Amino acid sequence: MVAYVVRLCLALALGLAFSLRPGVADAQGTIRVGITLRMLVENGFKYGQMAQDELLAVNAAGGIKGQKIEVVLLDDECKPDKGVANTNRFIHQNKVHLIMGSTCSSVTLPMVDIVTKEEIPLIIPHSTNTTITQKGSAWIFRTSVAERFYAAVHAKYLAENAGKKVAYLFTNDGAGISFVRDYKSYMADTYKVEPLYEGQMQETDLDFRPHLLKIKSLNPDVLAIGGQIDAIARISQQSYEVGIPSKVRRVSASAASNAPVPELAGDAVKGLIFAAAFSCTDERPIAKEFVKMVQEKYKVRCPDHDFSQAYETAQLVKLALSRAKLTLTDASLADDRKAIRDAFATIKDYQGLASGPINFCADPTPQCRDGNRTGILVEYTKGGKDYEMRVLARVGFEADFGLKK
Amino acid sequence: MEDASISAGDAVRRDLGARPLWSRLHLPWVAGALFLLLLPWATRNAYHHYILNLILINVILAVGLNIVKGFAGQVTVGHYAMAAIGAYASAVFAAKFGVPFWLALPAATLFTGLVGAIVGIPAFRLEGAYLALATLGLAESVRIAIGVTDYLGAAVGFSDIPPPVFFGRPVVDHIAYYYIVMPLALAGIYFSFCILRSDIGRSFKALREDSLAAAACGINVRKYKLLAFLISALYAGCAGSLQAHMAPGFLHPNSYTITEMVTLLLMVVMGGLGHIWGGVIGAAIVTVIYDLTRDYYQYQMAIFGMVIVLTVMFMPRGIGGLIDDYLAKRRFVAIRRAKANAA
Repeated sequence: MVAYVVRLCLALALGLAFSLRPGVADAQGTIRVGITLRMLVENGFKYGQMAQDELLAVNAAGGIKGQKIEVVLLDDECKPDKGVANTNRFIHQNKVHLIMGSTCSSVTLPMVDIVTKEEIPLIIPHSTNTTITQKGSAWIFRTSVAERFYAAVHAKYLAENAGKKVAYLFTNDGAGISFVRDYKSYMADTYKVEPLYEGQMQETDLDFRPHLLKIKSLNPDVLAIGGQIDAIARISQQSYEVGIPSKVRRVSASAASNAPVPELAGDAVKGLIFAAAFSCTDERPIAKEFVKMVQEKYKVRCPDHDFSQAYETAQLVKLALSRAKLTLTDASLADDRKAIRDAFATIKDYQGLASGPINFCADPTPQCRDGNRTGILVEYTKGGKDYEMRVLARVGFEADFGLKK
Repeated sequence: MEDASISAGDAVRRDLGARPLWSRLHLPWVAGALFLLLLPWATRNAYHHYILNLILINVILAVGLNIVKGFAGQVTVGHYAMAAIGAYASAVFAAKFGVPFWLALPAATLFTGLVGAIVGIPAFRLEGAYLALATLGLAESVRIAIGVTDYLGAAVGFSDIPPPVFFGRPVVDHIAYYYIVMPLALAGIYFSFCILRSDIGRSFKALREDSLAAAACGINVRKYKLLAFLISALYAGCAGSLQAHMAPGFLHPNSYTITEMVTLLLMVVMGGLGHIWGGVIGAAIVTVIYDLTRDYYQYQMAIFGMVIVLTVMFMPRGIGGLIDDYLAKRRFVAIRRAKANAA
């Protein structure tokens, strides 16, 4: 009997699931924004929520020129197939006017192809892969700092201040691979220097000591650590365990800016440097205000550049929407999308939280669509729960820096 | 008594057993094909066409997994890796060598079948959890190998996979792609029925119930294990190729993790191991639930976990088991009625 009741409940649950299918968004006079980010990671949910809150906040103030904003927020798990599904849903089901996303470059890359075909503006808050804006899409704008800039920030600084003998140890995730590839490429092109050592491991590996012992014996100037949070923390810790001295500078990908790195690595993180787009130790009033807001509202002590870029992107969306002339009917959807795209292209010298001014223009080229061309170099000065950091340098680049001539 | 039982048997055959003309003419298949032909026109937008394509690709995967796991009883956790091999093989043929989709699809399918046969070799000596571990190792190796191979796009992804071209026009719309995926899915289901009803299908079932007893009956256990892996890999290769060429033509190793494999297993378990229609229904239900719960991403995995636990606890034979129960009851009632009439 119990079994039959449960079967009935299962059947009812399935039926309910079908009947509760969210309908097509057809509210006229409303600006619809789709956001897809990697949410189920440390703080991912919070910065997704923050981007949504920032956009919805305009509704309380009467909307943008009286037009309300509606936001659909979805998680893509950093998986391209999920990002593609979310994008298709935003475009065909929710009929959004613009899309914001994603966190991972591997998700954003296929999204670019879809928005280009369907002609929807896409504003990219986090993805850094250089090829994204090289696809030549007229519909994309990036607020994050592209890898072509990041690579040079630390490579130039370290070559001039630490040395050119670099040992690379990285895991096989997108961030780790591209960090090492770009660093190597910069060193080879600029200084004609080959890697002293190169070791690659899996994302889930725990023991990096065999590689680190070999690196120690080679006496490098710099240890370049590519990977995600866990790998960076472990390699930093184990590098001291095997006796690599502190005079060997440790440098890592921008994932090192995530709070769990100093928390997991403890004092081993002291002296680790990384390039990023924002530091919570930024002394500018706008940055202090932002940090205070995140601390109070989202309970995050030191927001990283994922937070700042999500916030910045939301502000740019509001700015573009305020500049675009929108009709907001079903018939005007294509024209409204085009108007929003054109409004994004008019943004010049926007100085917000980002490490440098954001500039867009109309040409579908990296020069026009990689908005932020300034990276900052950050160093951890203390590890553990109460970690501290300082900004070593702020480096701006020309729009065509790092592009093949 | 003897006469009564014969007449009861005749009555049952008359009621249930004999295949009527409409069945012999494959009318249900024709009706199904007609329904599927018209289905996209009953949906509301291109997103629904996209979901239909996902459902049908998952149907091909689930039906293929059912052959090796449901029919032949081989515990494999590497089916999704076969799909990855099919997808990347097709992508390489099309994007690197310029092979048109219409050739890349069969070539990738055959290539995956070959790999599947090689994967089947460990199954000669391994069973149960040990075979599951071996295939899990293979699946992870495939994903990691792709992730570190620059030629396959490594961790950044394989992009710009060309879509099928039909009479000079690229098939990039989901509705047009549906008419490529749908006939293949239908053919896959039909082929699966053909296997089940053939001596190969019966050998698979004997293998599943007891491989020692099957060998004692003269069934070549090695041959049929290998065949099960090969046929199932053909399905996975075909599904993988269809995934690769569907717009926007992008592949990434993160789409072939153990989570995707568990989701595929859920389709087959929910549908009912060894039930072809169960697998089809399971694939459709799981794909739709996955889409519906997209808004509740915080709880999505919890919902899926709960569905698996409840299904295993209260519907261990899945939806196919419920259908079996219904048919058995119907048969029992028919026998009782026939006996009563005879008396």
